[in-house]
Amino acid sequence: MENNNDAVAARRQALAQALRQGEPVVVTPSGEVEIKEDAVQAGQTGIQVPDGKLA
Amino acid sequence: MRYKLDRRESRYQTESWPDMAYYWYERDPDLYKAEVQAMRKFFPSFQIYQLQDGSGRLYWRGTVQPTGPNGITWDLMLIYKNDHPQVHSEYDYGGSVQILPVAPRLKDIAAQLPIQPEKGLGLGLPHIYRDNFGRDEEYFICTADPKYFKSGQTHSTSAASALSWACKWIILCEMWMNGEISDEVALEGNY
Repeated sequence: MENNNDAVAARRQALAQALRQGEPVVVTPSGEVEIKEDAVQAGQTGIQVPDGKLA
Repeated sequence: MRYKLDRRESRYQTESWPDMAYYWYERDPDLYKAEVQAMRKFFPSFQIYQLQDGSGRLYWRGTVQPTGPNGITWDLMLIYKNDHPQVHSEYDYGGSVQILPVAPRLKDIAAQLPIQPEKGLGLGLPHIYRDNFGRDEEYFICTADPKYFKSGQTHSTSAASALSWACKWIILCEMWMNGEISDEVALEGNY
């Protein structure tokens, strides 16, 4: 369980960093946001989030 | 009561009064088809409906979990403005597709947070705006700066794109509420 929590925390941290740095991210059909590179490696499909700063 | 839009009905009306059509989905059936195709491809669990308030506005409804299986499930409505895909001003923060979280409701979340206009948190949450919805005022997600919206003849921002932006906003919102990112980072909006 602890390992799972660590993995979740690490994933969130990596995602936060990727978003901050403007790395491409995709959204899967379930609405999960993934780093594009990770999604491609995992064979997941999704829509790439267009460029754009939040208003 | 909601009902599923009958696409044949919409197409029939468009063919009957192509120049007089008021609703974007009658005026531009190809755009309507493209919108449906994009949502079916990228978010197949979402369904399209028509608001039963006499406005004729179409909306998609479904759920997403942007932070993954352990995260919050958000029940969202993506509501087209009747002149979709036009964006009229720099103050059109949600573009022509408004994103309304049904659950959790932003107004309920914001009610539990301090209002800090001096920090840019005048509504309690970062990057949201208020607008009328039926008889009530609701809080909507500001998906992207209006300059990033597209409303040209060949490319326009779709509900699918708006939803992908909204998922990014949800990540930011959840992380900000958990204290994983600061007010400054949340307000900067570079996410």
